[in-house]
Formats: sequence, structure tokens, C-alpha cells
Amino acid sequence: MRQLLRQRGGVIGLVIVVLVLAVALFGPLLAPQQFDATDLLNAWAPPDAINPLGTDKLGRDIASRLIVGAQVSLTVGLSVVLITLVVGVSAGMLAGFLGGAADRLIMGTVDIVLAFPEVVLAILLAAILGPGIATVIAALSLVWWPGIARLTRSLVLVQREEAYVQAAIVCGSTTAKILWRHILPNIAAPLLVRASVGIGFIIMAEATLSFLGLGVQEPVPSWGGMIRDGLPVLRSDPMLAVSSSVVIGLTIIGFNLLGDGLRDALDPRLRGR
Amino acid sequence: MLAFILRRIASLIPVLAVALLVTFAAIHALPGDPVQVMLSDHSADKEMAARLRAEYGLDRPLPAQFVAYLGEIASGRFGLSFRYVHQPVADVLRDGLAISPLLAVAALAMALLIGIPAGVYAAIRRNRWQDTLLILLLVAGLSIPNFAVATFLVYALSVKLAALPVAGWGTWRQAILPVLVLAIPAGAYLARLTRTFMLEVLGQDFIRTARAKGLGPRLVIWRHAFRNTLLPLATSAGVIFGGLLSHTVVVETIFNIPGLGRLAIDSIFARDYPVAMAVVLLFVLFYAGINLLVDLFYLVIDPRVREGMGA
Amino acid sequence: MKFATIRMLAGAMLMLALAMPIANAKIFRVNVVGDPAQMDPITLSEIVAGRILRNVYEGFTATTEDGRNAPALALSWEPLATGPGFRFHLRPGVKFHSGRPFGAKDVKYTMEELLRPGAKGGLGASHLGSITGAKAFKDGAAPTIEGIKIVDDLTIDIAFTKQDVLFPIYPIFFMDSGIVAELGADWMAKASAGTGPYKFRQWRRGVSVDLDANPTYWGGAPKIEGVSFLIVPNGDTALSQYDAGELDFVDVYAGSIRRVLRDDRYAKDLIRVPRAQAVYMGMNQNLYAPFKDIKVREAVSLSIDRQAMIRGLYGNAAFMLNGAVTPGMPGETIGLPAPKFDPARAKALLAEAGFPDGKGLPPIDIASTEASKDELTYYADQLKRVLGMPVSVKVVERATFIRGMNAGEVAFFPWGWTMDYPDAATYLQDMWYSTSPYNRPRWKNIEYDALIDAALITADDSKRFALYHKAEKILVDDFGMVPLPITASVGLRKPNVRNVTLTPFGFSTFDRIEID
Repeated sequence: MRQLLRQRGGVIGLVIVVLVLAVALFGPLLAPQQFDATDLLNAWAPPDAINPLGTDKLGRDIASRLIVGAQVSLTVGLSVVLITLVVGVSAGMLAGFLGGAADRLIMGTVDIVLAFPEVVLAILLAAILGPGIATVIAALSLVWWPGIARLTRSLVLVQREEAYVQAAIVCGSTTAKILWRHILPNIAAPLLVRASVGIGFIIMAEATLSFLGLGVQEPVPSWGGMIRDGLPVLRSDPMLAVSSSVVIGLTIIGFNLLGDGLRDALDPRLRGR
Repeated sequence: MLAFILRRIASLIPVLAVALLVTFAAIHALPGDPVQVMLSDHSADKEMAARLRAEYGLDRPLPAQFVAYLGEIASGRFGLSFRYVHQPVADVLRDGLAISPLLAVAALAMALLIGIPAGVYAAIRRNRWQDTLLILLLVAGLSIPNFAVATFLVYALSVKLAALPVAGWGTWRQAILPVLVLAIPAGAYLARLTRTFMLEVLGQDFIRTARAKGLGPRLVIWRHAFRNTLLPLATSAGVIFGGLLSHTVVVETIFNIPGLGRLAIDSIFARDYPVAMAVVLLFVLFYAGINLLVDLFYLVIDPRVREGMGA
Repeated sequence: MKFATIRMLAGAMLMLALAMPIANAKIFRVNVVGDPAQMDPITLSEIVAGRILRNVYEGFTATTEDGRNAPALALSWEPLATGPGFRFHLRPGVKFHSGRPFGAKDVKYTMEELLRPGAKGGLGASHLGSITGAKAFKDGAAPTIEGIKIVDDLTIDIAFTKQDVLFPIYPIFFMDSGIVAELGADWMAKASAGTGPYKFRQWRRGVSVDLDANPTYWGGAPKIEGVSFLIVPNGDTALSQYDAGELDFVDVYAGSIRRVLRDDRYAKDLIRVPRAQAVYMGMNQNLYAPFKDIKVREAVSLSIDRQAMIRGLYGNAAFMLNGAVTPGMPGETIGLPAPKFDPARAKALLAEAGFPDGKGLPPIDIASTEASKDELTYYADQLKRVLGMPVSVKVVERATFIRGMNAGEVAFFPWGWTMDYPDAATYLQDMWYSTSPYNRPRWKNIEYDALIDAALITADDSKRFALYHKAEKILVDDFGMVPLPITASVGLRKPNVRNVTLTPFGFSTFDRIEID
């Protein structure tokens, strides 16, 4: 942590991430209006005291929808990272440590998923499952885990040759115990960095799916969907597209800066540079 | 070398075969009946529905449809499009086939031209304000989604300044904005990589030796340091190219470009199974081709890999 | 390596430059939302191809800008003496784009192609069901259609199993019977086989469909050299292309209408007309028991603030629909009162029906497609707020949704029906007759059916319209048809372009366009 705080970028990233997390957690308390209350006669209202960022085409408060949208984006980002870490790390560790048939089976599956362009695969999956937040999480997890598995496997391959692991094997420790107790702590740092940078990309991927019309269902807001709704009226009512673009841009910048900071802090080779 | 290429191609075959099967299953698992899409509002005409179903072989069991599809691949027609009535998929794809790779190649070139000098510059000025500013810019370039970037660029360059056409396809001027939108995140990513690699190389002994020998800084940086970043950069360029290709889906949708990417979205939404199948498979093939090229590049540039391969 | 990349880029740019289209001042350029499915008058079944082909092909009659039916390839027709049917006298001196003369053999050929077993006749085929022998021909049991008889080159008799007074106005595009022999089965990739003011030049997929003027058109050669339909799926893009002078006329898509209406620059170019699309709130009484009570149906209708929708949601690019027939359609009832917005009365009615404040109402989904998600969101919120009705939004994939509606499986949905032919029957018969497959809410009334039956054998317009008016009153008073606002067709036309406009029935035909 102290290392992290030395990185200027990392600190900015941390501040942004903490802010976004706070907004997402305490969203309902902060939202000035109900996010789904329509008021057609007040559609596309300019910013004022009641609607600090104006309203959208159904007269709903943009600020409140951005706040609830933060919950959606973070729910998707964190769920996908969690799921892909669990799946990808387990698969990668098994493949790397066991080798042989298990390795071939797991890495074969990974190769097949990675054979598809990720955007195309995510669109295909989202179209099969139908719109909704669960769909987005499922589609992005499926696209994301093979990368983690591949990284984990390469890390495990290195660790397996280390003396401490060989010693544990000789001592007759169970595979599970070796993986969990010995190897995992030693490969956690690069995985953590990967996860932190990953959240930013996943939030962007969620926005892309929503932008293409495959994201969460109305009346639940999503930043990508808000940008899509705002684009056609950019000239006359720029608030919706601009505010949602700024918010999503800042959030992803935050996660990326945090990821960079973490990497620099955790990677001893880069320390002090 | 030839043996290596052949072996790599052979190792692709099982992956491609499974990808074919997975794609077929996925496309047929899409909710919505293509015959109903064809009939649209008038789908209550049961006779016509049955007729269409028989004509496209959609009344047969899935395994039989899969076998028939393999035959269509062998014939080079890839089946008949559902949406473009009575037209072989090969004809539907022909017009747009080169567009997505062309966009991705142009974007990669632009990204290399911008990203590498920027990365080297940042590395030379590391921890000074130029470096900090560049890093912030790069993170921003990577972070703002391309549809948002596209909107701002269109607004500024096409609408306000009327300097470039808004969308469409046909003239080189229409290609500038889409290529730029694709190139921004790729260039930012490349610049960051270049900076990291350069910092790593610049810290190594042989650079210190070169400097100690009194070589000029320009020579040291380009001839000695930069050269050693080429190999990792080439690998990354392969990965980036794959990403660019896949992001043509979004960019072609925004800029109304009739390439494979837009066809992928349109055919999935329209439940045009044969076209969707062919487009997804083409993307898979492109990906495989890129990876093969990256491997070959290794072979050419790094003698160690070449030797290691004999074993 | 970098040098090679630059060369590659330069090569790519050069290839793009070579693909550049040649600019031409006298080409009328207009946007369409997607590629046509096919440039074929037989399989024609969707809007984009329809919009293009109506400048290439013609039928017995054509719809004028004010919604009347004017003779086109038929000069006149009279009832057959031998039974239900018509004798058509065809226009003499008409030539196809190939140069071959148009005649009775082509009418017969087109109708046979539409019904040919194994082929796939599109929309046109659905209008031929009442011709004598149509079914036998379609099933492959007869080599020709018994009811179609060529009298001479320019006269043809068409007999029906039951009278179909609307037959002459059905949109059926006649095609050249000699085209397949000349150009082969894939002729539509090379040429057009119509008689219209424009002929096919090329279709660049995803880019444009280009037509050339037909200098020998019977109605007079067009004054421009051609028409280019640019394929532009995104409405905002289309507008920007119009601003940049890349389009002469822009069909403004729903998402961009508000921007157009609020921008003063566009005011002088603006065209705004109600669409010929009957929009309604479908309530299926078989699937949601409370809808059986007319009070509940009326309460739903009274809860919707249509004026607010028109002003807020549609930015004034919409019109009130008062009945089942859209404004300007032959046979509409003039002077129907507009549906009211009265939340207090709506609440009271719902309470009378036994559901005070929505208590006791089972939960229900209001469903539609992605394109209607804003409307869905509004209705759900409004019904919850005014009536306390437990409504949730459900967006369904389009084809699945339409299949469900046609099967009578959707309980609660806003939807619209676009007219097929210019007569009120296109709504009153197709949408609300009890056995019509497109009676999606499955509303049923015996008296109504009898009135429609009577109307459809009444050839005299004013007598038929009187029957329509009676039927429409039954439908609206029963809250079977709960009308919702109809959106406007909005277009922008450059000041130097004349004699082309939007009508409720779509674009006017392009034969008289002038570009200064």
C-alpha cells in the first residue's frame, strides 16, 4: 500500500475508484430524484436545481440515472472479475500444475474461446441469452476467463520448478494444498494487477454491449445505453451523451491508473524507477 | 521452417473444427425463428412459413443441417442468405470482405506511427512533466470508449468544421475518422508498451556500456535500445491487430461502413444464420492467420527461436 | 518493417480512392435504412425494397399524393358478367425497360409467378387468394390459374371465388414475362423488368441502390438522370450527410426527429405528415381476465396522456389517432372524438371494476420490441402511478414477438399496423375481423364482422364507407381498438429539389422530380 501511495497516478486512480464505489454503494441516498420516474412534459429539460444534469427523453433525472448506472457498471465489472478470477485461476493452476491430459483439455478449451474475436463472441452470447444484467455478466465472463487461465498457467509453470514446491511435492502434500497454500500466494500479485486493469476494460465492454442494444433492460440505466440514447440528440441536448461519456471515461481512467499503480508497486523490478 | 509452418497449420485444424461446431450451435441457439424474421409482420401465413422452412432446409434435424452446411462450405457458396433472398453467402460477403482487414491494417499503421515515437519520448523524459502528461493522455486514450470518442470527433471535425465526411464508404476521406477512432486506443496501448520496454532496456548494462563508449544519445536510443524492443512489440502488435479487427464491429456500426463487422451485427440481429456463420468463421480464420504471422515473425527475427524449433 | 507498413497503408488508401463514386449533379439522392432484401417484384415483402421498387415497377393502379387511387397500367375495369371478378383494359403503348411491349400475357405471368408452387411469392401473393383456381395452382394440382383468362393483348379477365371489390388497388407489380429467357434466373442482379420511370443500374451492398431514368416512360421521361438510394442505418449520420450536401432528401428516422424539429436551420426544408400506421394498445381478454371488463379497458385508455406523449416523447412529431383508421385514408370516419386523458375517472372506473387502487390485479408484462422501449417504459410507469396496476416492461426480440402476437399469445402490448393498400379495410378487415390472423388482441364482435362482410362486397365507395363507419364505431366504443398517438413521417428536402414529398402512404413517386 505504501508503495502504491508513492505512485502519483495510482493515488489519483485510487481516489476515483473509491469515489465511484461510494457513489454506487450509497446511490439511493445520493440520487436527487427517483431514477425511473417519467415526466414526459419535462423531457430533455436543461440542468436546474431539481435536475442538476437535466432530464432524458422520458423526463427522467440524468444525475440519478448516472448514479444508478454506476451500480450497474460496478456490479457487472466486479462480478465478472470475481467469476473469471475463480474460474480462470482454478483452471490455469490445474492445467499448469497437473500437465498432461488435464492441461491439454483446459488449454484446448481456452484456445477455442480465444479463437473468437471477443466483441463478436460477446455479442453472439448476449444475443442468445437475451438482454439483461445476468446475460451481460455471463457473456463477458465467458470471454474473459481464458486470458486469466493462460496467465495463471504460465505463472504456475514457473513456480512449479521452484525448490519450495518441489519440496512440498516430495513431502507428500496434496495437490490442493500445494496450489492453495504455496503457489497461490506467490502468483497473487500479477493476478491482482490483471484484475484491477480488467475491471476498467469490463466496464467498457459492458458499455459497448449496451451501446449495441444488448445490455441491461429498461428502466434500469446503463452508461453505455445512456450514451447511445444521447448520441442522436448531441447537437440539441448534449447533456446526456456528454455527462455519461465523462463519467464512464473517468471511471475507467480511475481503474486503469489504479492498476498501473498496483503493478508498479507490486513489481519489484520497476520499484524506485 | 516450412515444416514449422505446416505443423502450426496442422495444430490449428482441431481448434477450427471445434470453432465451426461451436459457431453452428451458437447461431442456431439464437432466440427467434429466421422464417418469422423473413415474413416479418405477415408471419401468420403458415403456408408460406412452411414453404420457406423447407426451401432453406430448416425443417430438417440439426445434425442433418450441419452436414448440409459442411457441403455448402465445400462448394464455396456457404449457403443461401436468408435476408438477401436467394443469394449465395459468398456473394453477400464478397463486397465487404476486404474492408475490415483494411481498416484494421490502416489503424495499426497509424497506431505504430503515433504510439512508438510517443512511447520512446516518454521513456526518455521519464518522471518529468512531459512523461506524466503523456501517460495521462495515454490512459485517457485507452479509457474513453470508442463510440464516445467517435461522437466527439464527428461533432468537431465533420459537423463543426465540415472538414471530413460524416460516414459512408467509398473515398479515402471517409476512411480517416474510422481509422483514427480505431487507432487512438491502439496507439495509446502501443505507446505504453514501448515506454515500458524502453525503460527496461535502457536500464540494462549494454546500454550503459554504449553510453560509456561515448555514442550519441540518438544512436544509443534508436540503434541499441529501441531495436531490442522490437520483438516484444511485434508480439503485441499481433494481439493489437486482433483487437482492432474485432473492434471494427463497433466502428463500422457507428460510421455506416459495409464491412464484415457490421455484417456480423446485422446478420445476428436479422437471424441470417448462413451469413452470421460465415462472418464469425471468417473472423476466426483471420485471428488464426494473425497468430501464425506473429509466430513466423518470431522465427525471422529471433535466431534462438529458430534453433529451439529443431528440437 | 515500418517502411513496409507505410507502403501497405499507402496501398490501402489508393484502393479506397479508386473505389470513389463519380459525382453527378442531376442524381436525386435519398437515404434508406438498410439494404433491400432483393430487387425482385415477386419476393418483395419488406419496406426498403418496396420503396425502391415502386419507382421501377407498376400495378393496375397507383396511389396519388392525396391518397386516391389512379389508373396506372390498367386504364379501366368493369365487373364480369359471368360472376364475381373484373375485366381489365390495359394501357396501350407501354414498354418494359427491355423494350418489349407490356400486355395481358405479363399480367398472367406475374400472377402465376407470385403463386408458383415452390417459389416464394411475397406480399403480392397474399392478395391473390380469392382468384378462382388460385389454390389448385398453388398446390401444384393445376398447370394454370383457372380464373385468369387473356381476352386479347390488352384485355384480361380475372374471376374470383367470392367478390373482392378492392382487387384493382392491391399493390401487385407487373413484370416482363420475357426477362428470364433473355437474362436467366438471376436477371435481377443485371436489370429490371418493370415499366416504371426508373430502371435498375446497380446495387452496391451496404452502400447504395442506383437507378437510371427510363427515357421511354409512358408517363413522360423523368427530368433527372437517376435516383440513388444511399443505405444509411443511422439517423444521425443521414442528417449529417444532408447537412454536408451528400443527400438531397433525408427521411428522418425516429431518433433524430426531435433534433430536426428544434433546429431553425431546417424549418424551411421540413415536411411532416402522419404515417399511415394504426397504433393501438392491444389487450387480450383471453390471457388477462381483468381485460374482459370494458371498465378496465377504458381505465387503461384514460390513464395515458397522449398529448404529453406527442409533445414530450415525440417532440411534436406525432398526431392524435381518434379511431381505427389513420387520417387521410379512404373510408376514415371524420370527426371521431379524441381519446381522453382523465386519471381521476380512470381510478374510479378501476374501483368500480373491483380493483380499487389496482388491488387484486394480477401482475402483467407490457411487451414490445426494442424499437418501442421508450413507450413501454412510459406506459408501465404511468399505469403503475395512475392505476396502481402491477406492470413490468418486457422487451422481446422482434421476430419472436411478432410470432407471439400473431398466435394470440401476448396479453398486453402497444403495436402498430402499417397499411397495405389505400382503403380503410386495410385496418378494419386485416386487424379487427375476428378470424384475421393479424387480429392480435383477439377482439371479437359478431355484429362488426357482419358489417365488414357486407362492406367488402360493396363496390360503391360511399356505400362501402358508410358500412365502415358503423363498424368502426362499434370497435372504438367497446375499447377494442384503444388508439395511441401515431408518429409523423418527417423529411427534409433541399430547396433546389421540387416535385417530391412525403405522404401518409410513404414517398410520392419520383417520376416528376426536378433538381435546379
